[in-house]
Amino acid sequence: MNSIDKIVFGDNQFFGINHMSQEKAQQLAEKFHDINNIFRIYDSAIECGINSIMLNSNDRAKEICKHFSDNPSKYGHLHWYPSIPYPHKYANMVAEKGILPTVNEVLFKENTAGGILSMLAKGSTAVLTRDAIKLMQMLIDVEMKMFHGLDIKVVFLQNIIVDLILGFDIREIFEEYCEHIRRRYKALPGLITQNMPHLINKLKSWNIKEVVICSSFNKIGYLMSPDIQSYIDISKNNRPDEFQLMAMSTLASGAIPSREAYEFINAQNLQSVVFGASSSSHIKETISLINLN
Amino acid sequence: MVNIGIIGAGRMGITHFSIINSHPQVIIKAIADPSGIVLNLMKKYISELNVYKEYKEMLQKENLDAVLVCTPPNYHFQVIQECLNKRLHVFAEKPFTLKYEHASELADSFRKQNLVNQVGYVNRFNDVFIKTRELLNQQVIGKVIRFKSEMFSCTILKSDESSGWRASRENGGGAVYEMAAHAIDLVNYLIGNPVKITGSSLNTIYSKNVEDAVSATFLYEDGMSGTLYINWSDESYRKPTNKLEIFGLKGKIVADQHSLKIFVKDPNKTYNLIKGWNTLYITDIFKPVPFYVRGNEFTRQLYHFVDSIINKNAYSNQCSFEEGAKTMKIIESIFSDFEINGTI
Repeated sequence: MNSIDKIVFGDNQFFGINHMSQEKAQQLAEKFHDINNIFRIYDSAIECGINSIMLNSNDRAKEICKHFSDNPSKYGHLHWYPSIPYPHKYANMVAEKGILPTVNEVLFKENTAGGILSMLAKGSTAVLTRDAIKLMQMLIDVEMKMFHGLDIKVVFLQNIIVDLILGFDIREIFEEYCEHIRRRYKALPGLITQNMPHLINKLKSWNIKEVVICSSFNKIGYLMSPDIQSYIDISKNNRPDEFQLMAMSTLASGAIPSREAYEFINAQNLQSVVFGASSSSHIKETISLINLN
Repeated sequence: MVNIGIIGAGRMGITHFSIINSHPQVIIKAIADPSGIVLNLMKKYISELNVYKEYKEMLQKENLDAVLVCTPPNYHFQVIQECLNKRLHVFAEKPFTLKYEHASELADSFRKQNLVNQVGYVNRFNDVFIKTRELLNQQVIGKVIRFKSEMFSCTILKSDESSGWRASRENGGGAVYEMAAHAIDLVNYLIGNPVKITGSSLNTIYSKNVEDAVSATFLYEDGMSGTLYINWSDESYRKPTNKLEIFGLKGKIVADQHSLKIFVKDPNKTYNLIKGWNTLYITDIFKPVPFYVRGNEFTRQLYHFVDSIINKNAYSNQCSFEEGAKTMKIIESIFSDFEINGTI
């Protein structure tokens, strides 16, 4: 399995996401309303030595992707780690319309004329055979369109989907997701989860390997089910050629001071850290503190 | 082992399936839903699961201990009655029923039969609101005089010609049944049950036949009062958010799902509070759950239901039908107050 980048620059700070405080999230959303402020932070991150970016396929990601793919001489060296889908879009649509009308709208209304014929052809098959796998592949392809032209290293499936399907205990969906990402995008399949130990044990029992697993990993055990000790133990015994582990929420939304947070992270058997920061000094500080083996 | 059946495979049915399937002492035997597509998908990938288009057939054929009722709310009363006839423990999604009379009848019957009964008011299992209740019960802000209970989301942002159950009040649609129910239940859970509802107003913003915003004033026998305000067409909120502000004689609490601010007139050693403002974040007070899908509270509420069955403890449920009935009574009062006094 290709090695992933040790430090990946995340995107929550740009889109009004903060698990600890809505107020903080709103302040950041205001700051980054002007997309040029986002590009400026990316540029300073790149100056600090960042060359890999995780980006969720949300409403604003399209414009961000275009900015980077339009400037290959400046940005062509960057590795991209998309995460799909944008869960809130689906959550609101499902609340309003129901599950099947949502799938229908995403697949058929949000596609340009060029893509819709092939989508329709596949779609009718999908509906007729009631085949979740085809439906899933089509939804992935819709979400991935905006990343076209970028060098994609890992495609992550968001935790809300991963953990839902993990609860259902369905091997085929994980298998087919990984296969589709490898075949179609020539990238590593990635799974984001809040149940990392359980997911890894399941994947092992299903003989699914060479997957990147991204999960919360922090000193206070925040968003780490069932508990912090299980995370420490399973990562200690993990072989990176089977699963590469990426830590997110390393500061637990700011509850842990950076130095203390990364002293803990550096002592674990992890292959990568994704972090977000909204100023050049924070980016520099974080990079200097991360020291994975 | 607890054998479970699920009725309704919409968003909540699917979420609850995933969560409770992780409980080591639960077997999900069957699921019922009129939509063939969802059932076929489930049957295809989960071979040991039995699927039914008719829930009555499922109740007849399966040997179940408990049922999760996740149908549109207008079916709840009938479905829960059928479950009662089979002597099954029931978890029902909110708003429980559409009539107080029905809610209270079910609460009585389940109590008499000693069956576990729970309504899906998930905020009762949120770390911050659990802490808020503890602080109030310990009189940290003294006697409560006034409160505000608010809830906001960006659920409805277009006027859509929807034909589903959400488009009519008769079927349980609208911001009162679907959202205000949560904010009202929080008042019942944290502060208590009001004796009178007044000053109710309902607004439509995008919906044609149901309200998108609602407000009301709650009055209590001891002179305490509070206001309720809900808006589910507020684009400034990314996620559904409950906000509470509670003013007491010794201080004030401001809380949402993620953080709790408390102002106290005097320091409090037990809770390590300094005089003035104190902030507690969810990262200070969370307790991890065994399996996470949509937030700790969703896991905690279903595990509580199953654990109540395993421990044969129907009476100590944190969100019984009786509690659900209290919320139904308030909802009815809001609608009738608005009908009588709500127009110029």
